[in-house]
Amino acid sequence: MRRYMSDHVVPAGRVRPKPPIREATEKPYSTGEKAGQSLTGWRFNLLAVLFFLAGVMIIIQIVRLQYSPERNEFVLQGEQYSRTLHIFYPPRGDIYDRWGRLLAGSTLVYEVGAQIGNVDNPDSIAFAISKVLVNHPEYDYAGYSDDIYAVIHQAQISGTAYVQLADFVTPAELSTLQEWSRNYEQLPKVDYGEAGKPSLSGLVYRPRLQRYYPENDLGSNVLGFVNREGTGVFGVEAEFNDLMAGVPQSVWMTLDPYQVTEIPQLKAGADIVLTIDREIQAAAEEVLDKGLEDSGADGGVILVMDPNTGEMLAIASTPRLNPNEYWDYASVFTNNVPYNRAISQDYEPGSVFKVLTMAAALDNGAVKPDTEFVDTGSIQIGGITIHNWDWGAWGPQDMLGCMAHSLNVCLTWVATQVGAGPFYQYMQSFGLGRPTGIDLASEASGRLKLPGDTDWYEADLGTNSFGQGVAVTPIQMVMAISSVANGQGEMMAPHVMRSMVRDGFQYTPNPQVVGKPISVETAQTLTEMLATSLEGESSDALVDGYRLAGKTGTAEIATPTGYTGNATNASFVGWGPVGNPQFLVYVWLEKPTSSPWGSVVAAPVFHDMVERLVVLMDIPPDGVLQSLQNH
Amino acid sequence: MDNFRHLTHAYSQAPWRKQTYLIGVFLLILVSAAIIAGIYLNVTARAAAVGREIQEMQVRVYGYHNLEGSANDTDVPIEELDQNIANLASQLAYLTSYSVMQARVKDLGLKPLDGSHIDYMEVPGYIERQTTSLAPPPEPVVVNASIIAPEFKESLFEWVTDQVSKTVRLFGEAAP
Repeated sequence: MRRYMSDHVVPAGRVRPKPPIREATEKPYSTGEKAGQSLTGWRFNLLAVLFFLAGVMIIIQIVRLQYSPERNEFVLQGEQYSRTLHIFYPPRGDIYDRWGRLLAGSTLVYEVGAQIGNVDNPDSIAFAISKVLVNHPEYDYAGYSDDIYAVIHQAQISGTAYVQLADFVTPAELSTLQEWSRNYEQLPKVDYGEAGKPSLSGLVYRPRLQRYYPENDLGSNVLGFVNREGTGVFGVEAEFNDLMAGVPQSVWMTLDPYQVTEIPQLKAGADIVLTIDREIQAAAEEVLDKGLEDSGADGGVILVMDPNTGEMLAIASTPRLNPNEYWDYASVFTNNVPYNRAISQDYEPGSVFKVLTMAAALDNGAVKPDTEFVDTGSIQIGGITIHNWDWGAWGPQDMLGCMAHSLNVCLTWVATQVGAGPFYQYMQSFGLGRPTGIDLASEASGRLKLPGDTDWYEADLGTNSFGQGVAVTPIQMVMAISSVANGQGEMMAPHVMRSMVRDGFQYTPNPQVVGKPISVETAQTLTEMLATSLEGESSDALVDGYRLAGKTGTAEIATPTGYTGNATNASFVGWGPVGNPQFLVYVWLEKPTSSPWGSVVAAPVFHDMVERLVVLMDIPPDGVLQSLQNH
Repeated sequence: MDNFRHLTHAYSQAPWRKQTYLIGVFLLILVSAAIIAGIYLNVTARAAAVGREIQEMQVRVYGYHNLEGSANDTDVPIEELDQNIANLASQLAYLTSYSVMQARVKDLGLKPLDGSHIDYMEVPGYIERQTTSLAPPPEPVVVNASIIAPEFKESLFEWVTDQVSKTVRLFGEAAP
């Protein structure tokens, strides 16, 4: 290297002789060209120009697309291929009874489908699924196999990647399908002819939760059910649907491997603890079913409430649906029968309404327990004549006698003593004519005609006083009478939700007092009157060892052509023990055939219910309680 | 003037040396670029492979399962475990449901007790049955908080910017 340097670098101080100036040589070609290459040169230039133009056109096209009207469409198309939408559903909250027994939970079911690209034999898949799901109510029909084959075939033609073939497949059914699949895999590799080797390849599944009711139809009128779309229908399921369902989260899962998609942390739906006691609910349903069988009634209701808090311990209603088989709804509830009669069906209650009339009169001061009324057997009001249930005249009666013998004439007179204005104010204070606000879906409001309404007449004051011409739901009656039963005059809001568990915390709302329509004295006086009258009548409602207060009711049923003579609504309302009321029971039997009278058909049902209730609620007989207190 | 030109010529590189130099520089840049590109390609390829693996796991876990089953069936996501727990809880509830318990009672030859067969006694200190409490012990609830560290979501530019700003803030706090 140094040699080379010395060869070509002239040391300083020395001047190399000036080389002779080279004469310009002849240049037959232009600069950059060499002989024989001119033709190639312009081709290269042309190519360069073409490439340049192509580049320019591409840039122009890119810029044009950026500002073209189709830009958004292209962007959208691009996004469709860059990500997929995945919806994550949180598990639905559970429902428990007051002691923590599961009334509504979740069970595993499977969605079964085919990934078309992996399907080897559509015939095998169609055959296997139709055979395995033969007992599945939704797929048990002729031609299901053909439908599956057609769906897969259509998907193969259209290039669809995935098709759903069955849903709500049970674990047992899926297990059978897996067994079939394994058996097919083990078949020998021989020539299977045109049909091809049987295979369930391409068949896939995905687990998910479905609502499940372990108690089947127990308390179903309270619970409601969850339909195929996952929405609560009727009862608690509908009322608290938003709370229990939680909030599904949609996530765009990116297909770009350089990006990460975070799986969302789902907020589970709230759990609901009911005030319902499973054992009392079961007892109420058994007693009601027996009552219907004995009386031949079309339907009925038993309500059990804690009158001190408004907690509903049982709501039994007929008919009942197994919510695990909610698709039978139309066949179970025929002739417009509501899902829960206790809250959705109003009716004319009859003489149980006299409890409210007497409460209003006592509280108003219009009458006292010893106020005397001479019953002549009839009374005129608003142009109509009111008679007693037996068309008889009962002579001189005090208010106790009027209630004990359930005298329509007497109660009509009592209502007139109160006066229409105050009477209806009391009825409104008792919450009649509007929903109670119970936390169950589909509550009816009933109908209370008021003075001033176009269809109210003076005669209505008379008929309303003994529970005719007024439409109430059983739950309205229970709420109204709770003010008498608890001995405090406070009307408690009926409710079925005891507490709610959400985000790790249990919220238990306090009992709500809806109003105080009557005084403490009125409530206690009326309770004493009704307890005495029940004892005096030797009612079938009485239970040995326990002092109870109660009132029967028999109401004729209104039809478009007037009241029917041969069909009645039989009711009974009672509470106890009188010294320390812990339960309020309301019984309603619709159109009993064995006897039309509430005292004959409804009072024994009340008796049977209370007999079991005192055991289930650990309520000792009055005598035992008294002796224990004396020690 | 001539002397100056001669001087210039005396210190100029030979053309072939210039070309060698230029080629060397060019090759250096080229090789450097190739090395960087290679490293970049290697890293991005690995990232893409891992990304695809994560996506496949997500599909396997949250997507559809093959009917034949696979070796990866042991990878059960929390959601599916929750589903299994809910399913088992429901099965247990069925086994202790009213109708099933009544059937067991009947099979055992037992019958319900009526009021006349109950003896009541006073038990000092007895606490009557309390209604259920289902809430688990309170714990902090963090809703929709990301569990992926920001390093996995931010770009290189964002990371550098963040680091610079942190450093500036650090020096700013340290300054008197």
